Amino acid sequence: MTCCGGRAFTCLLQPLVRALGDGTLPADLFRAYIAQDAFFLRAFTQVYALALVHSSDLEAIALYSELIGGVQEELNLHRVYTAGLAIDLGSVVPNPACRAYTDFLLRTAWHNSLGETLAAITPCMRLYAFLGEELVPNCGPHHPYRKWMETYSAEEFRRLGGRLEALLDRVCVDTVEVRDAYRYALRCELDFFSAVVGS
Amino acid sequence: MTGHSLIRDAGRLWGEATRSPFLDAVAAGTLAANAFQRWLAQDYLFAKDLMAFQALLLAKTPRDCHAPLIGGLAALDKELGWFESHGARHQVDLDVASHPTCRRYTDFLIRCAYTQPYQVLLAMLFGVEAAYLTAWSALPPSGPYAEFIERWSSSDFAAYVSALGGLAERHPHEAAREHFNEVLAHEREFWKMSWEG
Repeated sequence: MTCCGGRAFTCLLQPLVRALGDGTLPADLFRAYIAQDAFFLRAFTQVYALALVHSSDLEAIALYSELIGGVQEELNLHRVYTAGLAIDLGSVVPNPACRAYTDFLLRTAWHNSLGETLAAITPCMRLYAFLGEELVPNCGPHHPYRKWMETYSAEEFRRLGGRLEALLDRVCVDTVEVRDAYRYALRCELDFFSAVVGS
Repeated sequence: MTGHSLIRDAGRLWGEATRSPFLDAVAAGTLAANAFQRWLAQDYLFAKDLMAFQALLLAKTPRDCHAPLIGGLAALDKELGWFESHGARHQVDLDVASHPTCRRYTDFLIRCAYTQPYQVLLAMLFGVEAAYLTAWSALPPSGPYAEFIERWSSSDFAAYVSALGGLAERHPHEAAREHFNEVLAHEREFWKMSWEG
């Protein structure tokens, strides 16, 4: 279920993503973005954990556990950045778009079907792998956000995203609700990017 | 009821959650048909998720909370039936996609139903219902929407809201106010969405 091409490109055209890519994003906006993303990643970890709990398939359980480890690595990278940016990751107040996205993910993971949860978490991985692939080749060696973007162009990150998509295709019944969860998650991604620039 | 500490402490947010151009147009009988239909369909979707919220809350509460909450669930079941018959009677399609504003509100409620303690959920439910009672009670029970105004200004509904207020007072929690206020912010946005689309 990879119906996200159009919206992925829309995200790439967002001012925030463009400025990240060409290195012109002001430091205060990058700081705001990292802070919101850290809040988001904490919720995302919980969503993976809930998906794990609701799975009986051993392969899926192993994948969720690797994904949780992957988010911890992302958060560690955030800590490296935030240490120099004076952000306390523990006291981030989410903006409305970030809150809406995490409420949607957590609601789905707690309350809706496992298929909807899988559909809700897949676009984020797919989108970031796509952004990493598109942006990193154009980054020079002195690009200020190169390290951040390299996380998402790493082979390991792409591989995890690919396994998540394969799991989605293998275990999800294609229903209106599952498609809706996938599309709404992408919309939330778009709103998340827009909100940081508008903040 | 407006003397309740949660309402008093909410400040101007309380007024924003209980007054809107949408309600003014209902009172004046000038509400556009498409705005009314939008509100009806989205409020129906909201009420369906509120049912889940209330059921999850009930499962967490101690004995003294049960009677009002079970009464509230039964009333909500009747209300959903009323929405359905009203939709059929007036050819309003209730099978529509959730508006992002409605979705944000219900995602917040359901997420909290699983992650917050029952005391916080009691304060949230009081916020949902007290705001609704106050919003509709301020309107004169006449005109094309008299049936709606009377429904949410009734003495039965007021007694239920008062009982919820009592429960929220008897079961305090340090996070109650923050969540009560967040409910009010969502109420404000819901009215805005009903009016503006």
